[in-house]
Amino acid sequence: MTGTGRKRVRSATLLLLLATLALAWSGCGELSNDELNRGVESLSALAAQGQLVANGVARDATKITYARAMARTLGEQAEHEAEKLADASLEEPETADQRHAAVAVAEEISGLLSELQTFPGDERHGELVEQHLGEAGEKADAIVAQLSGDAP
Amino acid sequence: MRAILKVALGIIAAIGGFLDIGDLVFTTQAGALFRYDLLWAVVLGVIGIAVYAEMSGRVAAVSGRPVFDVIRMRMGFGMGLLALVASTFVNVLTLAAELGGIAIVLELLFDAPYSMFVIAAAVALVAIVALLPFGGIERFFGYGGLLLFVVVATVFHQNPDWGEVGRGFIPSLDSSTLYLYFVVGVFAAALMPYEVHFYSSGAIEEGWTEKNLKENRLNAIVGYGIGGILAVALVIVSGYLFHPVGVEPDNLGTVALPMQGAFGETGLLLALGGMLFCVGGAAIDSSFAASYNLAQFLGWEWGRYQGPRKAPRFTASWLVFLLLGIGIAESGINPVDITEYSVVLAVVALPLTYLPVLLIAGDRSFMDQYANGRIAATLGWTYFAVIVVLALAAIPLLLATNAGGG
Amino acid sequence: MRAEGDIYVVHRLLDEQICDAEGRRVGRVDDIELSGDPPRITALLVGEGLYPRRLPRRLARLARRISGPEIWGKNALRIPWEEVDELTSTVKLRKKAEELGLGLGDDPERWIVRRLPWN
Repeated sequence: MTGTGRKRVRSATLLLLLATLALAWSGCGELSNDELNRGVESLSALAAQGQLVANGVARDATKITYARAMARTLGEQAEHEAEKLADASLEEPETADQRHAAVAVAEEISGLLSELQTFPGDERHGELVEQHLGEAGEKADAIVAQLSGDAP
Repeated sequence: MRAILKVALGIIAAIGGFLDIGDLVFTTQAGALFRYDLLWAVVLGVIGIAVYAEMSGRVAAVSGRPVFDVIRMRMGFGMGLLALVASTFVNVLTLAAELGGIAIVLELLFDAPYSMFVIAAAVALVAIVALLPFGGIERFFGYGGLLLFVVVATVFHQNPDWGEVGRGFIPSLDSSTLYLYFVVGVFAAALMPYEVHFYSSGAIEEGWTEKNLKENRLNAIVGYGIGGILAVALVIVSGYLFHPVGVEPDNLGTVALPMQGAFGETGLLLALGGMLFCVGGAAIDSSFAASYNLAQFLGWEWGRYQGPRKAPRFTASWLVFLLLGIGIAESGINPVDITEYSVVLAVVALPLTYLPVLLIAGDRSFMDQYANGRIAATLGWTYFAVIVVLALAAIPLLLATNAGGG
Repeated sequence: MRAEGDIYVVHRLLDEQICDAEGRRVGRVDDIELSGDPPRITALLVGEGLYPRRLPRRLARLARRISGPEIWGKNALRIPWEEVDELTSTVKLRKKAEELGLGLGDDPERWIVRRLPWN
C-alpha cells in the first residue's frame, strides 16, 4: 500500500472510531421505555420489601439492628434508582410525565425507609411506614400500567 | 449405637459449608422470580454434587488421591495447570463472597460497620482453624447450619398450595433467557467445586480407606440430601412470600424475611444464625480448597493435620488466599454481586475438575474392584454432559440477562 | 508394584507424587530421564525449572521468564532411578529428603520458612 493509501486508511479508521464514539456517547444515559419500566418495577419491588420489614417492626416481631440495616440498604437502593431516573435523558419525550412521577415515588419510598431506619423499634412508625409504602407501591404499579398502555 | 452416632456426626460435618452464599442468593431469587418452577433444578443440582462428591471421596479412600492429584496424573501438567488457575481464581472469588456474606449477616445482627466485620470474620476463622481439630471444625459449622431447619418449619407454617409445589419438581423449560439463567445458576450454586475439593482432601486428612466407602456413600446421599431439603425449603418460602408481591431479593438479609414473617424475632435469629454458620463453613471450605489444590498440584507437603511446621508452604498459601479474600471483600463490591459471578464462573470451570475425577473413578488400574459400577458410570457421564451444557450456556446467559438483573 | 519390570511410564509414573523414606511429600515427578537403547528410565527429574518444558511453546517462554532458567541442583533436581524404593500410589524413595536435596521448600531450616510467624 502506498503512503497516501495508508494515510487514507488511517483517517477512515479514525473517522469510524469517532462516529462510533459519538453514537455510543449519545446513546449513553438515555432511558428507553423498557429501562424506565424496569426502573419503576424495581421501585415497586423495593416498596414491597420495605413493607415486609416495616410489618416486622409494627408487630414488634423483629430485631432492631436487622430492621435498621435492611431499611438503610433498601433506602439506598431507592435513592440510587431516583438519581438514575432523574439524571437520564428520555428516549421518548412523551414519557416525561411518567418519569417525573417515578422520581417522585422513588423519593417518597426513600424517605419512608429513612424514617424506618431512624425509628426501627417504634411500632407506631412501623405501621405508618408499612401503610404508606403500600400506597407508594401502588403508585409505582400505576405508572408501570401507564407506560405499558403508552408503549406501541 | 455408637456407629450410628458416628455416622450421623460425619454426615453433619459433610454438609457444613454446602449451603453457601451462592445457594442462599440463587434459591431465594429463583423462588421470588419463578415461584416453585425451579424446584426440579435444585433437586437435580443436589443429586449432581452428591454424585461428584461420592466419586471423589471413593477415589480418595481407595487410591489415596485427592482431586488435584487426580487432575495432574490424568490430565498432565499443562491442562492441570489450566484447571489449577481456573479453580484458584474461582475459589478465591468464592472465599471473598463468603467473607462478605459473613460480614453482612453480622451487620444485620450487631451495630458495627461492614468493613470491620470482614476483618473480624477472618480473625475468627483463623482462630477456629488454629484451635479446633479438623473434625471439630466441620462439626462446628455443620451443627450451626442445622439452625436453618427453621426454614423447613416456615414452609409448614406458610402451608402453601402443595399441588403447585409438587408441579415445581417436574422439569419444565421456559424459553425466557432469565429462566434459563436461573436454571444454570441454581445448578451451579449446588455444584460448587470447592466443596468437593475440600471433601476429597478431608477424606485423606481423616485417613480414609476402603472401609470408609459406606460412610462416603452415606455422606453423599444423606448429607447432601439434607442440604437439598434446606435448599428446596428456601425456594418455597421465598416463592410463597415474595413472588405474589414482586419482591426482588438483591440483599442477603432478604433471605431471612420469610422466617421473620412466620416466627417473628425468634425465626429471624434462627435464620440469621443458620446463615452465619453456613456461610462461615463455606469460607473455611473454599479457603482450604484453594490451598489444598495448589499444594497437591505442585507436590508440596499439605494438610491441616500436618500443622504449620510440617507444611509451611501450604499454611502460608492458606493465609495468602485469606488475605486476597479479605482484600476483595473490603474493596466495596457487593458480596451478592461477587456471588453472581463466582457461581457462574465456577460452573464454566467445572468440567475441567469433574472429568478427571470421573475418568479415574472408572479406571480399574487405580480403583481395583471399587471402580464405577454401571449406576455410578451412568450417573457420572450423564452429569458430565449436563455440566458441559451448563458451562457453555453460562456466560452467554449471564451477559444476556445482566447477571439476573433483567 | 516393584521398581523393576514394565511400567506405564506416562500413565503411572509421570506427575506422580514423590515421598521420601519417612513418608514426607517432597514434590512430583516433573520429568523423566531415559537413556540407552532400548531406552530405560535412569532418573526422575523434579523442580520448578522443569515446568517450562511441560508447557506448549508460547507458554513455555512466559513460564521461563517467571521461574527462571533450569539450574541443576537448585530448581531442577535429578533423582537416580536406584533411589526409588517402590511404586504404589506414590513414588517412595529409599532415602530421607535432605539426603537427596529434596523438599527444601518445606525445610524448617530454609530462611523464608524460619521467618514465618509460627516458626
